[in-house]
Amino acid sequence: MASKNLIETHNLTKQFGRVRCVNALHMQVPQGAVYGFLGPNGAGKSTTLKMILGLSRPTAGSITLFHMEVNEKNRIRLLKDTGSLIESPSYYGHLTGEENLHILQTLKGCPAENIDEVLEIVRLNDARGKKVAHYSLGMKQRLGLAAALLGFPKLLILDEPTNGLDPAGIQEMRKLIRSLPSAYGITVVVSSHLLSEIDQMADHVGIISKGNLVYQNTLDALHSHARQQIALRTDRPDAASALLRENGINAKREDDYLLFPLTDDSHIAHLCRCLVEQNIALYRIEKRETSLEDIFLSLTGKEDSL
Amino acid sequence: MKTLRLEFYKIRRRRVWLTMFAMLSVQLLWGLWALRNPKDWELESGWMSLLYVLSMLDGIMLPTMMAVLASRLADIEHKGNTYKQLETLRSAGSLYHAKAVCGFLIITALLLAQLTFFIFLGFRLGYAGTPDVAHYLLSYAFKLAGNLSLFLLQLILSMLFANQMIPLVAGLGGSMAALLLMFVRTYSFLPWGGILSASLVGSTWDETTRISSFYYRSFSPAETAAVAMIFVWILIFYFAGRFLFTRKEL
Repeated sequence: MASKNLIETHNLTKQFGRVRCVNALHMQVPQGAVYGFLGPNGAGKSTTLKMILGLSRPTAGSITLFHMEVNEKNRIRLLKDTGSLIESPSYYGHLTGEENLHILQTLKGCPAENIDEVLEIVRLNDARGKKVAHYSLGMKQRLGLAAALLGFPKLLILDEPTNGLDPAGIQEMRKLIRSLPSAYGITVVVSSHLLSEIDQMADHVGIISKGNLVYQNTLDALHSHARQQIALRTDRPDAASALLRENGINAKREDDYLLFPLTDDSHIAHLCRCLVEQNIALYRIEKRETSLEDIFLSLTGKEDSL
Repeated sequence: MKTLRLEFYKIRRRRVWLTMFAMLSVQLLWGLWALRNPKDWELESGWMSLLYVLSMLDGIMLPTMMAVLASRLADIEHKGNTYKQLETLRSAGSLYHAKAVCGFLIITALLLAQLTFFIFLGFRLGYAGTPDVAHYLLSYAFKLAGNLSLFLLQLILSMLFANQMIPLVAGLGGSMAALLLMFVRTYSFLPWGGILSASLVGSTWDETTRISSFYYRSFSPAETAAVAMIFVWILIFYFAGRFLFTRKEL
């Protein structure tokens, strides 16, 4: 039975000199997904995406696109159903937005009406006759997305697409990316170094760190890794810890707090009553959550920036 | 064909044609000045002297024009980071080929315009007889080949280096070197020397009469080899450029 993944990489590796930028990557992008490719700066995201698009040659490993292994002969044919925006948008500054799209539309062999449709989607209709050199960075980014959307490909690969956009533009881009699978049946791979961004756009996530894919699953599964804890602060932490132990709870001491796994409300009420009865002053009781950010940092290493 | 058509579409508003014809105009004015007020004896061998002057002017100016042309064609891609999009739609080899053919067609038109102007000038000046069709055609073919080889060399540099000063300086340096070598001998195997090596007309200067006489050159084996080298350079530069461009990772 054919795999349902539109992209699969097997042992994909890229080495520059002695530096291994991408190491034996097994990436799987399911059809119809918004796949968030997350990793700190320099983790190997762009290199991986470039290899998938054939812009960079893998040192080892293979890539399967649309259930076919990519080689030099079939690369362009397979990429016909792919749109991409890598790093920064590509454009001819001396030509208008519409003329830029005309070049790509001719190369893609899609109908000319597509130009109007994609310009409408990215809201560049009013600026279609303006030279791209006079566009703002955000407009160029939107033109890049329009170019990627031309022909409404089955697969869209977007590398940091919100770069250079203002907050409203970022919001709009996220909304658009989220809508692509349902509205046009497009599978999207979107890379970012911002966890919050991927959290708001993707339903599948792959986390890459120092060239290694350290996590790959649905975003829901990643969320389920998030732990909830109760944090307790009293005037006598040792006595409080002993009391919790008597009640079957092994609390961990962290600064002035005692941390233990989340339990039901009635149990918490009982513990509070016991503490008061023992004359232990209860200063604070809080519910704490291990955020996705904490999980991300634990997967990628705390020294990497987000 | 589609990719080639788009090459011309892409250079809209880049004033490539205007730049080329502006540079050509300088050469035409120079030629006009060099050939002005011919004496009676000059009119006799006018068509030959025209070819002689033309090849001199070509040797001096066309290498620079080829460097500028290649730079203008390649620069638009560097400025907009377009290769990383184009290479997902076409193979690097076909993109390179389209660029090379686009340049070739511009050169063909440019040299044709140059030839037409000078033939018209020859008639206006009253040169005796008509131009020797065979020699003029051969001269055009050699010039086209010489310029194509230079254009392909410059295209390699312009496509590989984003900073266009590098190819422009290389082009100027090369043409200077070839010009200097031509003072030593009548041929050069350097790519920039091809145009001068393939000059079909030679001249002798008679000190007593102070008259230059022109003659159609018969090439020595070394000179023939230098002319043949132009075609070898075309093949070398085309395939080397294609190979390097295809191998380049983005």
